[in-house]
Amino acid sequence: MPSHFFFLLIFSVLVSTVFAVLQKDTVAEQIRFALTMTAGFVAFAVVAGWLMRLFPL
Amino acid sequence: MPTDTTRPNPRSTRTSAVRAASEADRGRAFVLCVAAWLVPGAGHLLQHRLARGLTCLFVLPLMFLLGLLFDGALFPLTPITQSPLTSAAALAERCIGAPWIATAVAGWGRGDVVSPTYEYGWVLMVVAGLLNVLVVLDAWDTALGRK
Repeated sequence: MPSHFFFLLIFSVLVSTVFAVLQKDTVAEQIRFALTMTAGFVAFAVVAGWLMRLFPL
Repeated sequence: MPTDTTRPNPRSTRTSAVRAASEADRGRAFVLCVAAWLVPGAGHLLQHRLARGLTCLFVLPLMFLLGLLFDGALFPLTPITQSPLTSAAALAERCIGAPWIATAVAGWGRGDVVSPTYEYGWVLMVVAGLLNVLVVLDAWDTALGRK
């Protein structure tokens, strides 16, 4: 079975693509926005995962 | 000072012409929004915004399809007092338009709760619908000349 990270990447790329085409007008800006947003999704998930590791419930 | 009450007031004539054009624009925008709901991206394609339209036409149904493939479920429209979150998810899924209709008619989307990818599946389906709401609103703004 694919990993959680795989599903995170799929979700991030798809959502970022839609937001990028809605928010930006030129292709270069859209690509930059999508990559930034995808990186933000992944970074937040990694940081949140490590923070949750501190509080096992 | 004598006033001429026989001639129409040009200001009120212009105002009603502007109002009529505005209402026609809103009517056209509403039709575009219905099309945008039914077919993700159609609202933009009909306004010749090809990049946005084609991207949404491809990405949003793909997202919904991936959700189905990951064993996601179509949520039933329960009374909101019974299960607010299920009702909210059901409404969100219906916002994707034709993909939801096709799935419901075909009898797919029963989901598999015990599947390890079930949560990812229904989240992708719900988010696809919610993103289509944003796309519809963007089509509305574009039709009214705000973007």
